[in-house]
Amino acid sequence: MNSGKSGAGVDWERNDYSRLPFGLYHDPGIYRTEQEKIFRGPVWSVLGLEAEIPEPGDYRVTHIGDVPVVFNRDPGGGINAFVNRCAHRGAEIVREPYGNVQDFTCIYHAWCYTHRGDLVGVPFVKGVQGKGGMPADFDMGSHGLRKLRIATFNGLIFGTFSADTEPIEQYLGSMLVENVGEILGRPIRLLGYQRQRIYANWKMYMENVRDAYHASLLHEFNRTFGLSRLTQTSGGHMDERHRHAMLFQYKGSDGDTEAKKAYKDDRVQRSEYMTLNDSSLVQAVKENKSGVSTRIISIFPNGVVHQIANCLGMRRVRTRGPAELEIEFVLFGYADDDEAMTAHRVNQANMVGPAGLISMEDGEALELVQRATAPNPDGSAIIEMGGTGALMNLDTRVNEMPVRGFWSYYSELMGIEPAGAIR
Amino acid sequence: MSTDSGVKERIERLIVDSAMFIDRDELDAWMDCFEQDARYIVMPRENRNLRLPVGIIHCENKARIEDRILCLRHANKYNPHFDRHIVSLPRVLSMEDGIASVETNFMIVQTNKTGESRLFCVGVYEDKIRVGKEKEAAKFVERIAVLDTFSVPTMLATPV
Repeated sequence: MNSGKSGAGVDWERNDYSRLPFGLYHDPGIYRTEQEKIFRGPVWSVLGLEAEIPEPGDYRVTHIGDVPVVFNRDPGGGINAFVNRCAHRGAEIVREPYGNVQDFTCIYHAWCYTHRGDLVGVPFVKGVQGKGGMPADFDMGSHGLRKLRIATFNGLIFGTFSADTEPIEQYLGSMLVENVGEILGRPIRLLGYQRQRIYANWKMYMENVRDAYHASLLHEFNRTFGLSRLTQTSGGHMDERHRHAMLFQYKGSDGDTEAKKAYKDDRVQRSEYMTLNDSSLVQAVKENKSGVSTRIISIFPNGVVHQIANCLGMRRVRTRGPAELEIEFVLFGYADDDEAMTAHRVNQANMVGPAGLISMEDGEALELVQRATAPNPDGSAIIEMGGTGALMNLDTRVNEMPVRGFWSYYSELMGIEPAGAIR
Repeated sequence: MSTDSGVKERIERLIVDSAMFIDRDELDAWMDCFEQDARYIVMPRENRNLRLPVGIIHCENKARIEDRILCLRHANKYNPHFDRHIVSLPRVLSMEDGIASVETNFMIVQTNKTGESRLFCVGVYEDKIRVGKEKEAAKFVERIAVLDTFSVPTMLATPV
């Protein structure tokens, strides 16, 4: 293993990201660079779902990193996105989080833009009674809003600030095309939003959704009801560049007795397994080809698509400075679900979000890391579960490979790769 | 609307007791405030406005409320804290077949184990309460806690 010293000022210790300097979570300079090189870099950020803006004129506000972005459907049905900042004085134009409008007019001086972000109205541009107004050479055509390039994949909308970002299906890779493609392969119906604000660095969450190891240890509910256990047929796989990941498992592929023994032998299980009055909460109605019961699919840099039993959702992550993030869970079912299936999905939404029976703990775990490492960010975390060195897909969840994968692509974009870095 | 004073007193007692039971970590007593087929939902205001069904917590009956509390006691790990509910006087909107529709504002302040407090959330309880006869305790038939603070700080483990 090479020492990975020359990481543009970052002391990686190793070249395979099996040591992670805590300073990367807390350094304000790193945070500013991330906004430029990651979020405004050559990536496709998740913006939202087409189902969130079904009608011509609809819009919703989201964020790429900490930049507010409006995505919308124009009167012709096309999808657009622009930065929510007036070209004139920089005021926020859209003030409601969602809505339906004919045009976008800034309240400050009433400059008016189309859904595409083109400037079409400047009050008194020619002055009044021959006085004032804009100079004759003022060109409205060159003062539109900052527009993003848009790509959609099965109803999932992506945006990029870069002219160089590769085509969306190539960016996602075959594993995501297949699995996100399957989950979003039918018309969907929105079921609701859940938001959670965590006082920790955003990258801890992107690691968390790639961390196959914690799911049954931190989230005891998973282990108890067999939704995720390290004894199951399961794994953590990545795309070819190792920037995205999918954690998966097959509920029912282990026995309760075997699982209980494994967790007891490793001194994890504290008490007897409990039972629920109503076990429909943890039952999966089979609705995919392979019978996979959980898929947590993370999309670099800011998105997740999940299937947990019959709870389906998309998550977008917003950064709010180096020490705060917001997760927006967007939950959905299929347009042809009957009433009973919708009720089942609404019930299973109890598993996710800020009060989620298998997700609430993430808020606490991330804040524990933040609190303990921020005051003195010297030292580094250990990421070795599943092995060191080359990155590979493993058919086990006793595995932190996808976490190292995240850091390898992150470092490439940031220009801080260690000498002889693995990719 | 005018409500006779005994009815009003029973409604107020249920509102205040149920809040205090959570603050005192007497969650069995809190669950006893609900009828068997009562719903308990913590609903983000944005979903309410958009008429979307998903809640932050969504229990369609008391058996599921009990499951929530069982998980809280035996599986979930959360930020160690004390809650303080501050509730307004209840506003009785209507009374039909012994069931009162009531709105009450709430605010929850969380305090950690080293004595620092923060405003955790504010919102409104939209309750349907079976008022009962004179000596009986009033009970919830439905409690929807609409969260104005729907971008939940850290996590929401204990009931609202």
